[in-house]
Amino acid sequence: MMDENIAAIRVQGAQKTFKAPGRPLKVAVDDVSISVQPATIHGLLGPNGAGKTTTLKMLIGLVRPTAGVFEVLGLDSTRPGGRRELGFLPEQPYFPMNLTAIQAMRFYARLTGVPSRDIDDDSAALLSRVGLEDAARTELAKFSRGMLQRLGIAQALFGNPRVVILDEPASGLDPVGQRDVRNLMLELRSDGVTVLLSSHQLSEVEAVCDRVSIVNRGRLAAEGDINTLLNVSGKTSVRVAGLESLPDAALVLAEDIALTGGMLVFSIPTGATRAVVDAIDESGGTIVSVMPKRDSLEDYFSRLLAMTSREAMPS
Amino acid sequence: MMSRIWPIGVAVITDSLRRKVVYVVLAFAAMLALAIPSLPDYGLGVEGAVFREVALALVYVTGLVIALSLAANRIPAEFERRTVYNVLAKGVSRWEYLVGTWLGIFCVMAGTIAAFTVVEQVVGVVTYGDPMWQLWQGSLAVLLEMGVVTAFAASVSTMAGPVVVVTATLAVVFAGHSRSTLVGGEGALALSPFYPSFDAFNVVNPVAHGSGVPMLYLLSMIVVFVGFVGLFLSVGVLILSRKDL
Repeated sequence: MMDENIAAIRVQGAQKTFKAPGRPLKVAVDDVSISVQPATIHGLLGPNGAGKTTTLKMLIGLVRPTAGVFEVLGLDSTRPGGRRELGFLPEQPYFPMNLTAIQAMRFYARLTGVPSRDIDDDSAALLSRVGLEDAARTELAKFSRGMLQRLGIAQALFGNPRVVILDEPASGLDPVGQRDVRNLMLELRSDGVTVLLSSHQLSEVEAVCDRVSIVNRGRLAAEGDINTLLNVSGKTSVRVAGLESLPDAALVLAEDIALTGGMLVFSIPTGATRAVVDAIDESGGTIVSVMPKRDSLEDYFSRLLAMTSREAMPS
Repeated sequence: MMSRIWPIGVAVITDSLRRKVVYVVLAFAAMLALAIPSLPDYGLGVEGAVFREVALALVYVTGLVIALSLAANRIPAEFERRTVYNVLAKGVSRWEYLVGTWLGIFCVMAGTIAAFTVVEQVVGVVTYGDPMWQLWQGSLAVLLEMGVVTAFAASVSTMAGPVVVVTATLAVVFAGHSRSTLVGGEGALALSPFYPSFDAFNVVNPVAHGSGVPMLYLLSMIVVFVGFVGLFLSVGVLILSRKDL
């Protein structure tokens, strides 16, 4: 059993600088720390070139860190022995294209150490899990990008890893495929598997992640519970039906008023909620919902990146 | 350990067989072997020796072409196509990856050289009525040398592209057979013991013109093979372990 006190993934003070003769030192990742609790889905967000993939590559030993501690289930994951409980889907997975799907799966099964007697059954089961059971004997050269992505996910799940790292898993997938991947991540979490998800698809991250780390310009810009990050402190969001305009008592307190789907949607100071609800009742409106105001992840992300980019600019 | 090295080797073997380069080289070499008896006539009793000498030269060239074509391309292509990511993420060490790749190429070469030697034997029996068993000793020597050449090429390929690998490997093959030329003179004679020579694998004379190679020599040749392969692969592992992928 896993020690509950041990983070499933721990990155502490990660740093990577690239040196090239005749060029200035390039700091790709600077003091990034991430802690992922067991059986959670943790999102790693950031714009292109923010250092997400470099951080993941350091975590799985593909890139040598300049500094930092990288652990998976308490073991140093920069060493091969520390990656044996880890499944990894690289961004745009590449495979030997002259193999069929089942041949590729057998190869990865052997590398993972799946016993010979289980290789065929496990390969077939995983192909079926990602919806590729009918393409098992098709050459990978004939696979679409989405099918290769599914195969990448399947190979990452060999040996029932306790930690799975997915780099842009929905890339190249159609909406149904994206939904399947989301469901798969939720299934993995309910099976006790820890998932570290690096993604550009904010809707995907918002839908499945328990916590997120946001990286910008090689540094950690924010980390936390996704609800805490997105909730706007001191504001409440109200949806009202049956009114064309707000009564005066509510109008003076309301902000960001919008008419959506025949309903008025607006935010108010949380302390004024009682007064606003009473005013709407008296004017004959129907309160549809009252909840803490929440940013969309897109808005939060854009604002944070703008802020951290300004801070990083030389004065 | 072998459970991770061997699948990598098998993947190299399977991939090589699919690429058809091995068959093309083998077919071309076999055609040349069949043509050996049509060489200009030599005195009675010399035809067999000439046949064996040319046959060994063909084995050597076949081995070298396969070693270069597989070892120079395999690792750079895996880095470029990023297929190596999935392999290393499975807990495979970089040294296991390099050794597995080398082992796969070595096995392909062993199969090709063995098949070619059989063809030469058949030609020998049909043409001269002699199965020429000593050809196997020569083929073993070529295989061992090509194993060393492959180890060098695979190691260089961890940091350079195919053109550099082929050039560097041919330079090493040339240098490996040029000890007497390069350090044989009086001035550099003292360096001779330190010179990395492949002369140990040159058994053309005893195989083609003599009565074969003694068992003790074959065993000592294997020791030299292990030493060189170990050295080159160690350097390759050192380079690969410091590389960002």
